[in-house]
Amino acid sequence: MAMQDKSWRDGALQLSTLPLLVIFAAFFVIPLGMTALLSFQGTQYYRLVWTWDLDIWRDVFGQWHYWRIMWRTLVMALVCTALTTVLAVPIAYAMINRLSKWSHHITLLMVFAFLTDAVLKTFGWVLFLDRSGVLNGMLAGLGFGPGAVDVLFSPTATMIGMVYNLLPYTIFTTALSMARIDRDLVLASYDAGATRLRTFFEVTLPLARPGILAGAVLVFVLALGVFLEPKVMGGGTSPMAAELIRQSFETRVNWPLGAALTIVLIVIGALVLAAAGGLAAIRMRRSKA
Amino acid sequence: MNDRLEKRLADIVLYGSVGAVLVFFYIPIATLILFSFTESRFLSWPIPGFSLRWYGELLADRSFWSALGNSAVLAVLATLFATVLGLAGAFAWSRYRFRFQWGFRVLTFAPLLFPQLLLGVVMLLWFSVLAGWLNMSPGLWSAVIGHVVYIVPFCIVIISVQMQGYDDTLDYAAEDAGATRWQILREVTLPLLWPGIFSAATFAFLLSWGNFYITYSLSGSARTLPTFVFSGIAVGSSPIYPALATLTFVPALVLIFAVDRLRRRADRKRALARAAAEAG
Repeated sequence: MAMQDKSWRDGALQLSTLPLLVIFAAFFVIPLGMTALLSFQGTQYYRLVWTWDLDIWRDVFGQWHYWRIMWRTLVMALVCTALTTVLAVPIAYAMINRLSKWSHHITLLMVFAFLTDAVLKTFGWVLFLDRSGVLNGMLAGLGFGPGAVDVLFSPTATMIGMVYNLLPYTIFTTALSMARIDRDLVLASYDAGATRLRTFFEVTLPLARPGILAGAVLVFVLALGVFLEPKVMGGGTSPMAAELIRQSFETRVNWPLGAALTIVLIVIGALVLAAAGGLAAIRMRRSKA
Repeated sequence: MNDRLEKRLADIVLYGSVGAVLVFFYIPIATLILFSFTESRFLSWPIPGFSLRWYGELLADRSFWSALGNSAVLAVLATLFATVLGLAGAFAWSRYRFRFQWGFRVLTFAPLLFPQLLLGVVMLLWFSVLAGWLNMSPGLWSAVIGHVVYIVPFCIVIISVQMQGYDDTLDYAAEDAGATRWQILREVTLPLLWPGIFSAATFAFLLSWGNFYITYSLSGSARTLPTFVFSGIAVGSSPIYPALATLTFVPALVLIFAVDRLRRRADRKRALARAAAEAG
C-alpha cells in the first residue's frame, strides 16, 4: 500500500493524530514530568511539602536497602528475560515449521491462557505448588514424603510465576518473525549441503533475530515492574522494586520517595536497553566488516 | 551424526517443547477449575468431595457483583475509546506520511515499553494532583484513562497490520466513481478493515478485563474482578476465587473462538472475492 503525503493542515491528518496527541500529552508526558518534579520535594507528617531540594535523592543513593532491592530486581529481570527468550525459540520453531496444521489451534490455546486474568493464574500456581497443594499431593501418592517440593514463597517461585506470565510475549514475537522467513532460503541452505542443525543456527536464527530481540526487550521491561508474582508466589519475602515503590506511595505516603524510585527504575531499564542496543549494533557492524 | 537420527532428536525436542509449554500454561488454570468444585473450605489436596457450594457463595457475595459491574463498565469504555483512537492512530502510522511522524510513532508506542505498574503510579500522581484541583477523587474514570493509554498502542499495531494488506486502488476506484471522502471511508475502507478493527477491539476488551496493575493503581476505591481477587487472597484464600476463575474462563474461551471463526470467515470471503476479480 502506498503512503500518502499529508501536511499538518490536512483535516484527515489532524483528525487521526490530534486526539491521540492531546491524550498522550495530558496523561503520559505530563505525568512523567510531574514525577520528575515531585522527586525534588519532601514530606512532613505524611503531607507533601514543596521544598525543591535533593534530600530524597541523597536518601535514595545513600541507603543500602534500596541498592539491594534494585540489584535483585535487575538480576531477576535479566534471568527471566534469558529464560523466556531461550525457551521460546524451540516452541516458536515447532509451531511454525512442524505443527503447521495444528499451529492455529495451539496459538488460540496459548492466547486464551495468556489473556486470562493474571491474578487468578498466579493464585492457581499457589494452590498447585503449596505444601498441601496438588503437586505435593500427587507426589505423595507416588510415594514421596509430604511436602516433597517446597518452593512456594521463595525467589524460585517468583521466577516460575514471572516466566509463566511473560513467556507468551517471547513465543508470539519469535513465532511472528519465524513465520516471515522465506522458506526458499532454508531450502537453499539444505541444497548447499548444510545439516538441519547448521541451517537452524546459521539461517533461521539470524533471520528471526528481530522478533527474538523484540520479545526480549518487552519481557525485560515488564519483568522490571512485576509486583504480583513476588507478592503472591514469593510471599513478600524478597520484595522487588515495584513493591518498594508501591509501599512508599501507599504505606509510607512518601510521594517524593516513590517518584524518585520510579525514576531510578525507569533509568535502569533504559540503560540496560541502551547497552543491549549498543552491543547489537557493534556486533552487526563487525559481522558486516 | 546421521541425518535420520538428528531429525528424530529434533522432533522430540520440538514436539516435546510445545507439549510441555501447553501443560505449563494450563497447570494453574486446571488447578483453579479443580478446586472450584471442592466441598471443603480449605484449598488443599486431596479434595474430600465435590460440590457446587462455592459457586453459590460467590453469587451471594455483593462485592463480587459490584466488581463484575465495574469490570464490565471499565472494559467496555476502554475498548470503545482505545479502538477508535487506535484506528485513527493506525491511519497516521501506516497510511500517511507527514513531518514529525517518527515523533508521533515514538509517543504513541512508548507506553508499551513501560512497566505497567510504573505507568499506573506515574498517572496516579498526576490524577491526585488533578483531583485536588478539581475536587474529585480517582475512581473508575481515571482507570478508564489509564487503560486507554496502555491499550491504544496494541490497537494501533493490530489495525496497522491489517492495513498492510490493504489494496488502496479500491479507494481510488471509489473516488473515480464520484464518492466523497466520507463515503469512501464509511463504505469502502472501514468495511475492508473490519476484521482488524474487530480483533483490536477484542484484544482491547480482554486486556482491560484482565488488567491488574493499572486498575490497582488508578481505580481508587472502586474494585474490578482482578483487584477484588487480589485483595481477597491477600487476606486469606477461599474457594470462591477458584469458582470465580472458572466462571470467567468460559466466556473468555467462547469469545476467543468466536472471534477466530469470524476472522477466518472474513479471510475466506476476501480470498474468494480476489479470485473472482482475477477471473473476471
